[in-house]
Amino acid sequence: MSALYQVLYCSRNRMSGGSKLVSDNIETILAISRQNNARDQVPGGLIFSDGCFAQVLEGPMDAVVAAFERIQCDERHSEVIVLRSGPIQARSFADWSMAFTGSSDTTLSSQLPISAVSEDGDAVLALLKSVVVRETEWLRRRVN
Amino acid sequence: MTVSLLQPTQDTHGRPRRPAAIMHLRSALNGLHLGLFTFDDALCVQFMNEQLRIVLDLSDDAAGAGSDLQTFIESSPILASTAVQQVLAACHDAVLTRRLKLLEISSNEKGIFYFSIRIEPLPDQTFLATIVDMTAQRVAEARAVEEAMCDPLTGLPNRTLFEDRVVAALDRNASEGVDGPAVMVIDLDRFKNVNDTLGHLTGDGLLRLVSKRLQGMMRQTDIIARFGGDEFAALISPAPDLQSVSLLASRIVDVLSRPYLVDGHLVNIGASVGVAVTPLRGSTYAILLRSADLALYDAKSRGRGTSSLFQPTMDVRAAARRQNENDLRKALALREFSLHFQPQIDLQRNVIVGFEALLRWHHPERGLISPMEFIPLAEEIGLIVPLGEWVLSQACLAASCWPSDISIAVNVSPCQFGDTDRLIDAVAEALAAADMPGSRLELEITESVLLQDADRVLDALHRLRAMGVRVAMDDFGTGYSSLSQLHSFPFDKIKIDRSFVKDRADDRGQDAVIRAIAALGGSLGMATIAEGVETPEQLARIREGGCKIVQGYLFSRPIPVEEVDLMIARHNSKKNTDN
Ligand SMILES: Cc1cc2nc3c(=O)[nH]c(=O)nc-3n(C[C@H](O)[C@H](O)[C@H](O)COP(=O)(O)O)c2cc1C
Repeated sequence: MSALYQVLYCSRNRMSGGSKLVSDNIETILAISRQNNARDQVPGGLIFSDGCFAQVLEGPMDAVVAAFERIQCDERHSEVIVLRSGPIQARSFADWSMAFTGSSDTTLSSQLPISAVSEDGDAVLALLKSVVVRETEWLRRRVN
Repeated sequence: MTVSLLQPTQDTHGRPRRPAAIMHLRSALNGLHLGLFTFDDALCVQFMNEQLRIVLDLSDDAAGAGSDLQTFIESSPILASTAVQQVLAACHDAVLTRRLKLLEISSNEKGIFYFSIRIEPLPDQTFLATIVDMTAQRVAEARAVEEAMCDPLTGLPNRTLFEDRVVAALDRNASEGVDGPAVMVIDLDRFKNVNDTLGHLTGDGLLRLVSKRLQGMMRQTDIIARFGGDEFAALISPAPDLQSVSLLASRIVDVLSRPYLVDGHLVNIGASVGVAVTPLRGSTYAILLRSADLALYDAKSRGRGTSSLFQPTMDVRAAARRQNENDLRKALALREFSLHFQPQIDLQRNVIVGFEALLRWHHPERGLISPMEFIPLAEEIGLIVPLGEWVLSQACLAASCWPSDISIAVNVSPCQFGDTDRLIDAVAEALAAADMPGSRLELEITESVLLQDADRVLDALHRLRAMGVRVAMDDFGTGYSSLSQLHSFPFDKIKIDRSFVKDRADDRGQDAVIRAIAALGGSLGMATIAEGVETPEQLARIREGGCKIVQGYLFSRPIPVEEVDLMIARHNSKKNTDN
């Protein structure tokens, strides 16, 4: 099997048009991601708020790049910034999952269904969570 | 082959044929790989072989031998009416002329086919038609041609194929009233950087990802092509409304500017897009593409990372620019340039210590053109290098006639540092031709020169210094890294930018800058000179600030070379009698 590769990125949520539409969209992303990523052996996790996304993908390099390219062409988000990318020793996630963080004061970990299988995975989730929380706060302040 | 054996049951002598021979011949003809039939001069079908059924896709109960030619041909479900007419006309022709007819018919109306048909008169008033199915061969040929017209790296159509497709779209627009196409040209920003730093293989990988992203944004009927390098094009046909086209262009910029993972590297590039839509007046491929190119040029000049829709004014601007460019190229040959000289005065001794050479362009129609207008263009088209060399040689020649304690300052464009060897050669040649020591020549360079390739530029400056040539930092104080740059090279002089000399509301702040620069220069052993001094008040401020040398309208405007001798004589001798 080819070497394991990991990508962490964050991006701005570009979905608009009522929370029902947004949550429907999120449901769609979740469903397709579960299916595609299981097929391609690219588990990971997506954390999102109303303002932004942060995602981790890991797996064989070609598969990660293919998934990343698919996601890059998605109009539902923009301003993608790669936080980290490179080879890893072992997988930190067994499965693909998704967590929502509506506001900064709820403790994300308590409602986080993403299951990391290693300490590295926990660290990645902590990083993604901090990015989403910080960005969301920043966006809120800008609106107010 | 004697085809009359087939139908008549008697030979030419009226004797009955042996049925076995006929049977053998029939089966031989049926085994042929070409479809075949015969007809008489009344256009009545006499015989057909089995293969013809297959080629023309005839059903078993379709008209056959004995029927008239038209009914027979029309019973083929794959021949469209135009093809039927072609075949009938050829058969008719063969009957009238009794000559061999060859024709090739093709259609893609009811499925694609290419048939090669041969109609041959036989000695007995009958005609033999053979039909060879060339479809597989022609389709393969067409595919090979298309493949040859594709870029091997990305598999995208190349420029030639793209042109074919645009022309076809324009034709459909003209003849069938289908909505006209839009054309986009797409340039990647900073791609060269990727190639240079990560290597060509990574560059190639990036181009493949770019082409996939582009294709992903297109509809079924649109086409993405690669023109080579980092240049792509899109044919949007039929084009939707203008707003949707613009939206697509911005989306292309957005998506292509998102990060890439190539060979384990994280790569960021940008994209600029130029768009042209029909109906443009007299749209042709050439016009459409040129308009898109002009729009791309506009997008790039607006800072890249953006898209631009072609406007007719771009045409006008481009025409003006081309005109300027042509005029500028001619100007050097036609000696429309001249040098003017502005004195530089040492404030302590009140003598002229040097002149700055300033370039003038006397356009035959437009009169005097400011360097601000033509130098940027000359830099863009590379004309600045020969022009700069001309200035160097003329300035040195002029100065060689002046008293030996008077120096000549010449501006050197950052572009001239692109080829430092050439610059140094030009300086050496100018000095030698004027028989003048290097110490009388002062080169004025701007800070941006040091931002290019600092090591190479510094090396060149040291080599110039070794020739005795002095180096001054021009327009000092306008860049952001000014101070640190002063330490990178022992400049002989710092020229304070004129913006600090101009009167402004907060003169106190300006004065502080002048004082600081003068003090800094003093501590580094560099003289400071102020330019653009126009009033006695400004002079007083400059003097107070500690600046040693000045230049400006207060003393003299730039003057033609003929007036220089007189000015030196008057000014420097007046000072002598003053003392
Ligand atoms: C923030 C975000 C994250 C996504 N993550 C994934 C993912 O991990 N896997 C996936 O297959 N699709 C993901 N998608 C959806 C893809 O962008 C795309 O819509 C999906 O793969 C279907 O692609 P297709 O239409 O080319 O099949 C994500 C979309 C967004 C906006």
